[in-house]
Amino acid sequence: MMTIFTCTDSFEGILCGVHDAWMSRLGHENVSLALEDTGNLRMFAEYRRAEESPGKAEKVMEAIRRKAGREACERVYRASLSCEEQKADRIYRFLVCAFRVGPEIVNMLQIPAVYELFRMNRSVENEARSLIEFVRFARTDSGILFGVVGPRCDVIALMAPHFSERLNAENWIIYDEKRRKAVIHRAGGGWLTARLPDDSFRRKLADSGDQQEFESLWKIFHEHTAIPERKNPRCQMTHLPLRFRPYMTEFKGERR
Amino acid sequence: MLIQQEMDLKEKLAILSDAARYDAACTSSGVERKGKPGQLGSTAFAGICHSFAADGRCISLLKILYTNQCVYDCRYCVNRRSNDVPRAAFTPDEICRLTMEFYRRNYIEGLFLSSGVLESPDRTMELMHRTVWKLRYECGFNGYIHVKAIPGADPVLIGQTGLLADRMSVNLELPTAEGLKSLAPSKDRARILGPMRQIQTGIAAMERGIVPRGEPLKGAVYPWRRQFVPAGQSTQMIVGATPENDYQMLTVAEALYRNYDLKRVFYSAFVRVNDDSLLPALPGGPPLLREHRLYQADWLLRFYGFTAGELLSESHPDFNIFLDPKCDWALRHLEMFPVEAQTADYGTLLRVPGIGVRSAKRIVAARRAGRLDFAALKRMGVVLKRAVYFLTCGGRMMYPVPMDQDFIAAQLLGEERRRAWDIGQKDSYRQLSMFDDGFLNPVPTAEDRVSAALGQM
Repeated sequence: MMTIFTCTDSFEGILCGVHDAWMSRLGHENVSLALEDTGNLRMFAEYRRAEESPGKAEKVMEAIRRKAGREACERVYRASLSCEEQKADRIYRFLVCAFRVGPEIVNMLQIPAVYELFRMNRSVENEARSLIEFVRFARTDSGILFGVVGPRCDVIALMAPHFSERLNAENWIIYDEKRRKAVIHRAGGGWLTARLPDDSFRRKLADSGDQQEFESLWKIFHEHTAIPERKNPRCQMTHLPLRFRPYMTEFKGERR
Repeated sequence: MLIQQEMDLKEKLAILSDAARYDAACTSSGVERKGKPGQLGSTAFAGICHSFAADGRCISLLKILYTNQCVYDCRYCVNRRSNDVPRAAFTPDEICRLTMEFYRRNYIEGLFLSSGVLESPDRTMELMHRTVWKLRYECGFNGYIHVKAIPGADPVLIGQTGLLADRMSVNLELPTAEGLKSLAPSKDRARILGPMRQIQTGIAAMERGIVPRGEPLKGAVYPWRRQFVPAGQSTQMIVGATPENDYQMLTVAEALYRNYDLKRVFYSAFVRVNDDSLLPALPGGPPLLREHRLYQADWLLRFYGFTAGELLSESHPDFNIFLDPKCDWALRHLEMFPVEAQTADYGTLLRVPGIGVRSAKRIVAARRAGRLDFAALKRMGVVLKRAVYFLTCGGRMMYPVPMDQDFIAAQLLGEERRRAWDIGQKDSYRQLSMFDDGFLNPVPTAEDRVSAALGQM
């Protein structure tokens, strides 16, 4: 009979799930991992909740680092940010291979479990990269730069290092509308992530006086830099999918 | 006659971004620079695109002209002296303000500053230098800056601007001296290649640790040691304005990469903005497919180890409309195929159609650890649609394919023809026909043939 370990949708949660499933000694083929409150329940399976504790997650992390190397650690972390429901089980399957093979595992894409992890990694990385390109900040009257995103995967933590480098002397916030999470950066300092109970704080962030002016200047530039003889909406759409556009200054007010 | 009137920033931006849009060289790549405390900005080696315009081209830099007033009368150019268009000029402060505020909001990756020639090349270059200096030192801008070198400007001015910019470029515009003479009579090739050589030697000296010195300009102080054009230089050629063929264009590009250490050559499909008797009429719109093929070939030169002479020759001077340059080359060299994916070295893998730089690297990394099959190759990003005809894996091809030029060409055409059609004939009306519709009816693939032969429909 299959035993399914459920864990919370977070990096630590998944690692605790991996720990409990592994230490249950039921055999890899008899256990599986699932996120709490997602998907349908399976018949003929026993559900167990993985108890979350920082110690367990730390232990698993240390084991991955020692046996499978840094690169594997990073890949597992990024995969845990993915939006796919089966990510916990896929990470488990990857680790089964990784502990056997060692650091070389990250290149062995011919193994399906490794490929699945690679694929999740790629989609998370791609979305983070896209949002680094496409996030738009608005300057508020208190001088804070405020950007809103609505990503599929939980990528704002991956965007933060780039902007803390680039906008080091600015106060800025990147807010993930779907997860109510934000990255907050203080001028000249570091950054942190925060979960927010609701988005009432947004009402307090009024635009600064020149925000409107630069928004319209940017729209003018965006419109005039295109060559009319080469108009190609399909090409534009492949590079800049519609799902990003509601958050972008230059497409605001455009009918879809 | 110049009518003076006060223009606001919006009108100026509209006019001067309109005037700059035909320059294709808009990338922000080539230099990795960390942020500096108290300053705004950093750069990424691969460059970052921030938006895509309605023509599908990336918007990375704030691409503007300093002014669209020009003393020249180049026939292909929208800003030529004899055109009756509204003229405007920014002030250095306006450009700084736009760049800083756009950058802060993550709209752009930096500034691309070009200009029409105002009064004289020296005067223009000086204004551009002043703008960029202000941006770097008064505003504390640490992002990407691309500046055009104006042919004919004093080398001191170009040298000093190079200390502030990340990339510089001089546009070759037309690949041959005759072409330049007919369409841009007031420019000459020697004056274009002069600054190009100057920038090249400056970069080379910088790499040996020598900062090119010149007389520092009046009032311009450089508070810290800077690099000279660290992201290298680029240039642009117009495709289809003069009768040069693809072979000529590609050999010129190759010579530029080899002799001038250029980072990029850009190709810009000619857009007929002026009604001039010396310009070609282009009833089908700009030659976009030709431009596309040239870019494909350019990639083959820079990343795949091809030479211009391998892809084209005097007797075969133009690219195939229906096949991309790599497939075309492979079909003419079937004696080198099929290649064995398990053992072939990296350079050989790169020459297989359907395998790119990334997938070749993944294959090399993965096969160290175990055997591969076609499904694994597909997962590594190999485009099997093209690669199956040129690849074996474990000594076998995916399907039994005769190594016959005509057969493989016919197979590849079905797929490639529709893509070429999309680029070349976009949005054009075409009568649907039930019988002869090469662009909509797919040619049966090898898979179809096998399943038909085995009766597995």
